[in-house]
Amino acid sequence: MGLVESGKLPKPLAKLLNISRKYSIWAYQWGLACCAIEMGAAFASPRYDVMRLGVIPFPASPRQADLVVIAGTVTDKLAPAVVRLYEQMPDPKYVISMGSCANCGGPYWDSYSVTKGVDQLIPVDVYVPGCPPRPEALLEGIILLQERIAHEDMAERWKGGPIVVS
Amino acid sequence: MDQLSSADTETPEEAAPATDDAREAVLAEFTSRLGDGVLGSHIRVGDDLWIRVDRAHWLEAAEVAKSMGYRFFDFLSAIDWLPSPFGRDMDAQEDLVVAGTPAKEPEAIVQGYAGGDTRFQLLARLYSISAGMGITFKCDLPDDDLTAPTWSNVFAGANWHEREAREMFGFSFDGHPNMINMYLPVDFVGNPLRKDFPLLARRVRPWPGIVDVEPMPGVADEEGEGE
Amino acid sequence: MTAVSDPQSVAALVAEANDNRVNLDFETEGMTLNMGPQHPATHGTLRIIARLDGEQVISAEPMCGYMHRGYEKLTEVRTYPQINALINRIDWLGSFANEVPFILAAEKLMDVEAPPRAQWIRTILFEMSRVANISLFLGDFGLQLGGMTAGFYAFRDREWVLNQIESATGGRFHPNFDRIGGLKDDLPKGWIEESHTAMDKLLAFCDEMEDLLVGNEIFQGRTRGIGVIPAEIALSYGLSGANLRASGVDWDLRRDNCPPGLVYDQADWKVWTHPDGDCFARTWVRLQETREAAKIVKQLLDTIPSGPVMAKVPRIIKVPAGEAYVATENPLGEMGYYVVSKGDLVPFRVKIRSASFNNISVLPWVARGAYVPDLISILGSLYFILGDIDR
Repeated sequence: MGLVESGKLPKPLAKLLNISRKYSIWAYQWGLACCAIEMGAAFASPRYDVMRLGVIPFPASPRQADLVVIAGTVTDKLAPAVVRLYEQMPDPKYVISMGSCANCGGPYWDSYSVTKGVDQLIPVDVYVPGCPPRPEALLEGIILLQERIAHEDMAERWKGGPIVVS
Repeated sequence: MDQLSSADTETPEEAAPATDDAREAVLAEFTSRLGDGVLGSHIRVGDDLWIRVDRAHWLEAAEVAKSMGYRFFDFLSAIDWLPSPFGRDMDAQEDLVVAGTPAKEPEAIVQGYAGGDTRFQLLARLYSISAGMGITFKCDLPDDDLTAPTWSNVFAGANWHEREAREMFGFSFDGHPNMINMYLPVDFVGNPLRKDFPLLARRVRPWPGIVDVEPMPGVADEEGEGE
Repeated sequence: MTAVSDPQSVAALVAEANDNRVNLDFETEGMTLNMGPQHPATHGTLRIIARLDGEQVISAEPMCGYMHRGYEKLTEVRTYPQINALINRIDWLGSFANEVPFILAAEKLMDVEAPPRAQWIRTILFEMSRVANISLFLGDFGLQLGGMTAGFYAFRDREWVLNQIESATGGRFHPNFDRIGGLKDDLPKGWIEESHTAMDKLLAFCDEMEDLLVGNEIFQGRTRGIGVIPAEIALSYGLSGANLRASGVDWDLRRDNCPPGLVYDQADWKVWTHPDGDCFARTWVRLQETREAAKIVKQLLDTIPSGPVMAKVPRIIKVPAGEAYVATENPLGEMGYYVVSKGDLVPFRVKIRSASFNNISVLPWVARGAYVPDLISILGSLYFILGDIDR
């Protein structure tokens, strides 16, 4: 991977790398609230079957995961755990924010204990709207993420030093 | 609002001739066992029984009720009877049209069934499976001393409910074994369920308004913005 | 964690004696095991701090609040129809069942009664959400004890019920279908036959689960005799629902104290209890309840009366002053709303009595002296939903 780090990745190789990354997303199951059940339906049910998209939903630890789906309400008490989870994931890492609560606070927009959007804590790649989104919506979000990965310039991503989360 | 603060004892709702013998009997037995600890009561016929007890008799009330067969612990919480000092000013103009303009001076505190004298009232409910009836207990807590004896030695389930009441209302419970926060982070400031605890998100951005006044689809409407 | 009642003190002494024995044999030291805030066995973000001695749990203290969303405060600034949309999300697996007690409490204060057809459809949807809820429990509990297949089967067959709920209410998960005085809409065409088919599928699913999971020897080995809760303890902690009935207490709010507005007396069904009070009993009672629920649905589907689904209620709902407590037998146990109204658009105070909060508060008592793998069985069989604990 020296080529990636030095920023001199030939185009065909970059494309190959991206295709292989795109179809082997290890998704960490981080279920928080109602959306977790719909995520479970998308990931673990034979009807929606996320594996046909090349997503492997069984890493036992965030240290093995490429993708985390924040499925549900993030509260202020939970926020440190979310940040810590994100920090534990190896780069390149992606975040899907699933459902209104994780996007913006949702029905709890005026609550005293709910974080109004997980993007205040960690960078989010794809937002999936809905309360909760249907499993198909999550699959669509994953496809969007795959498109994003396919067009990603790895060398560009690596150029600026280590990624620091404040 | 006046019919809320009903006077003491067995006044069923206006002109209802029906009486609730079973609940009357329970109330009579409870009163005879607890003596002058019973400050007020209310019966809604065929439905429910409210008993307000003295704070000094709060623990005894649990024991007496338990010995009377009320062994199922439902919940324990509290009510803050202070009218919200924010009134309806957190609402949008549409709400004001419906609800009228808010009163200028603060409203008086009006307690609910079984009466009351103070701003904070403990609220607990026990249920008897054999009798198929529940009792809702209330207990006044004076503003300057928001403490009550714990029920957790009588009903183990009260343990968590008292922890919740503590952080939500700022009470304390004498003799409670483990008085730590239930829900909120330790550095949280304020007691959310008190009426004077503001929801800051609402004060920053006013509530978008009642959506129920929008016309249903198909109903003729001059604005035509109902979807 | 300190002992708070006599049986607890006894249990503490027993556990201490056990600790001493373990210490003599292996010279182990105490250790703290932190489960969560996210753990596959906790259905969400419950954190459990377990102090261990070797493989044995000395104390297990649940730390709640990672999903606390402040429902009780939010109800004070929302109108009644808005609250109806909000409280769907308390117990997110049986959403429709959350709405019913609140709507019934408001109807009681307003002195409104829903028309018979609405009562029938309410009861049917209530039981359908129970089927959707508990069928996932059966699969999930199997998953936690190492049987992944059960989880796949549950997710597969649950879709049948969700489809029916969706086609009637428009919401797969959170229907928001109940209104004060009735229902939002009538049933779609052909729904009754489809529901019969779906319930037949679910009855077959129950048989399958009985063979696959409940009859499984490993499953029984991991649940029988584990996490025994005596009836008296269950009552004083306020356990309700299947957790209480598995301890031998024959009490079901649907049968014994059914609030007006639900028509359980129109169907022929049975309340199941189990004398053991262990993890297996809780699972078994839930399995039977799923069957009974499917049977109730099938019976009521055949007898739905015709007529309107909405009573005459004002467009802007103002609930008269008063207090009311209405509880129903939700999939997880007794769920009740204590509504205090002052005659305004918004309730003055709503105390939400959710089943899981009481159900899980028994965990420190029941986990003491158990082994670590048994902790998973106990947690799974107590069956809680985080939104229902933290609210």
